[in-house]
Amino acid sequence: MDQIIRASGEIDVYVVSMSLGERQTATQQRRPIRTIPWAGYAAAVALVAATTLLSSLVQSFFSPTNIAMFYLLAVVLAAVRLGLQPAVLTAFLGVLAFDFFFVPPVFTLVVADTEYLLTFIVFLTVGLVISSTVARSRERAEALRLREVQTASLYYLSRDLAGAADLVAVTGAVLRNLRESLKAEIVVFLADGEQLKIISASEKLDLDLKERAVADWTFRNHQEAGRGTATLGAAALLYLPLKTSANVLGVLGVRMADPTDYNSQQHRLLLDAFASQTAMALERVRFSQQAEQVQILAARETLERALLNSISHDLRTPLASITGALSSLRDQEGLDETARTELLATAGEEAARLNRFVGNLLDMTRLEAGAVRLKYTPCAVEELIGCALSVLDPRLGKRKIEVNLPPDLPLVMLDMGCMIQVLVNLLDNSLKYSPQDQPLGINARTDRAWLVMEIIDHGPGVAEADLERIFDKFHRVPAPEGARGTGLGLSICKGFVEAHGGKIKAALTPGGGLTVTIRLPLIPPPQTEDPAHG
Amino acid sequence: MDELKPGEHPPRILVVDDEAAIRRLLATVLESSGFVVHLAENGSLGLAAAATVRPDLILLDLGLPDLDGVEVIRRLREWSPAPIIVLSVREREDDKVAALDAGADDYLTKPFGVPELLARIRGSLRRVVSQAPEPVFRSGGLEVDLARRLVRVADQEVQLTPTEYEILRLLVTNAGKVLTHRQLLSRIWGASHLEQPHVLRVNISNLRRKIEHDPSRPSVLLTESGVGYRLKAGF
Repeated sequence: MDQIIRASGEIDVYVVSMSLGERQTATQQRRPIRTIPWAGYAAAVALVAATTLLSSLVQSFFSPTNIAMFYLLAVVLAAVRLGLQPAVLTAFLGVLAFDFFFVPPVFTLVVADTEYLLTFIVFLTVGLVISSTVARSRERAEALRLREVQTASLYYLSRDLAGAADLVAVTGAVLRNLRESLKAEIVVFLADGEQLKIISASEKLDLDLKERAVADWTFRNHQEAGRGTATLGAAALLYLPLKTSANVLGVLGVRMADPTDYNSQQHRLLLDAFASQTAMALERVRFSQQAEQVQILAARETLERALLNSISHDLRTPLASITGALSSLRDQEGLDETARTELLATAGEEAARLNRFVGNLLDMTRLEAGAVRLKYTPCAVEELIGCALSVLDPRLGKRKIEVNLPPDLPLVMLDMGCMIQVLVNLLDNSLKYSPQDQPLGINARTDRAWLVMEIIDHGPGVAEADLERIFDKFHRVPAPEGARGTGLGLSICKGFVEAHGGKIKAALTPGGGLTVTIRLPLIPPPQTEDPAHG
Repeated sequence: MDELKPGEHPPRILVVDDEAAIRRLLATVLESSGFVVHLAENGSLGLAAAATVRPDLILLDLGLPDLDGVEVIRRLREWSPAPIIVLSVREREDDKVAALDAGADDYLTKPFGVPELLARIRGSLRRVVSQAPEPVFRSGGLEVDLARRLVRVADQEVQLTPTEYEILRLLVTNAGKVLTHRQLLSRIWGASHLEQPHVLRVNISNLRRKIEHDPSRPSVLLTESGVGYRLKAGF
């Protein structure tokens, strides 16, 4: 065997050891045995004995022919209660007992009166007919009952599967239903490329390499294998391929509650139905996942196209201004001093805008890549606002800024760089969209466990419908002349605020304009004493 | 160095930057402002040039291809007291702090304006020349008399707590220079308080309320976000 493995090279060799004894057990179990037969036969013997006893007590009141009726009653009882074979045994034993104990000469099998022979023949015929009729109707009823159980369990499974939207739900439904209807424990393998992977398994199942090899065989050969089958019957579990019309999606491994269940026709039929239902459900889930994937890809593509268009526009416009201004200054003769100053101012402003845009792009990229790691430091809100205002200083001009802070505002833990950027973007927005002579308001206060900051402008505001969308990427509202945003600023604000576990929302300022409210969780800095300094 | 006077010996500036465009720009503007400029395009060449040229000031880009900028500062500081101004981009705040803690004197964020650059260079050179601070510091409406421990704002005397005065004194003696949180914490409270920046924040807040006209828009005690504090120089 070692040689085989060594010579096999890249080919996988599964060594599934199976002793002769195990093989025999496996073949023996192929015959369905639902109940122990000896009990039935013993009951038949007991029944005959009891009838004989009863008959001997009452024989003085009845003629021997009528005594035979007691035995016939016993046969009917046996047929109803014990099944075909015990009933047949009862019939034969009944004839013998009747002959031996009640037909003269008694205590011999010799029959004096040949008339009794007719009794025997009729008795036997009636007994056998009754036995087979009752047994057949019993079987039919049993089959009906089984079918009903199967139909019900299949119904429950398909109902559960219909509602299952993902892999976990599908395997969960299969696990639950098989446990309920067959008391079986299962393991579900799914194909992951060329390999099988366990997706879900009952806790009680512990699969070794041998079992996995059997499952793998089932997967590669598209056939059932394992316990109760002709292939690799020594395995602990029965393995069924999860087949659809097109391919094999995986393997269902089953451990029955009762060893005899492996060979029961009904159980196997039910299991096959379960397996094909499961396979269909799995395929449905896979298709819907693929469809979703396609949708996501399409959405991403649209977004990327918008991004590229926007970026190339926002990068090229200031570059065009700068290049134009510089080339004009270098090559154009006869420029007067005013024109030169104007060109230089344009180039400078556009370069600053380009710098802001690149900053926004970098922030956005960091947010999207999930690379924003917040550096929490204790921060005074006043200082935060001061920093934001100093960044914007060149653009503030004579604009009035009304800062409204309660004197007892505590220090707050936050990432100062990120929050400064949030305030800068919000204030920048307000500066762009509201007229020069209108003041901007900055309020901050605490509200229970939140730090609340408001940026208030008295510009035109936005349409109600836009209040939520202004935080979307590349969403731009119609801007007054000269005020052109990148469509990134507010979505960066949202990203940074949410990274802090906070919320941002826009509302209309009473009397006109936009108010953006930021709520941040109020995390107090670790408290230590401020040691007095000597 | 103590005999340096403008005109006699133009200050030598070593520029260490791997970007040719930046070297060209800096060479042009610095030479036309009267400095003697030496250029190096990576860390090792920069260290070698520093040893041979003995520059009066070093402009160092933090993103060098061969050596970590902070490492270059450490090696320079082993023997050279020449002021180092670090150039870096906005996204590398931690690098700036590390550079300042390693001994750099100031930093500029790219892109920067030339007037800003020249102001920082002149400020750093001046601090070297005048080791002892002026006995009375003036900036905006703030007046600090170090000898008499007197602080006045708009000619009104202001009462500071001992800690607040210590912070202000440290900032005054380093006027124009950025001091990192770490430097302030360790010099005022000692190394045991390095991890307690809120102590510093509270005192700065209180100090600002006493010396700034509008504490939410400070004009003298400036915050260098993510880095530290700088007192606006009065000259």
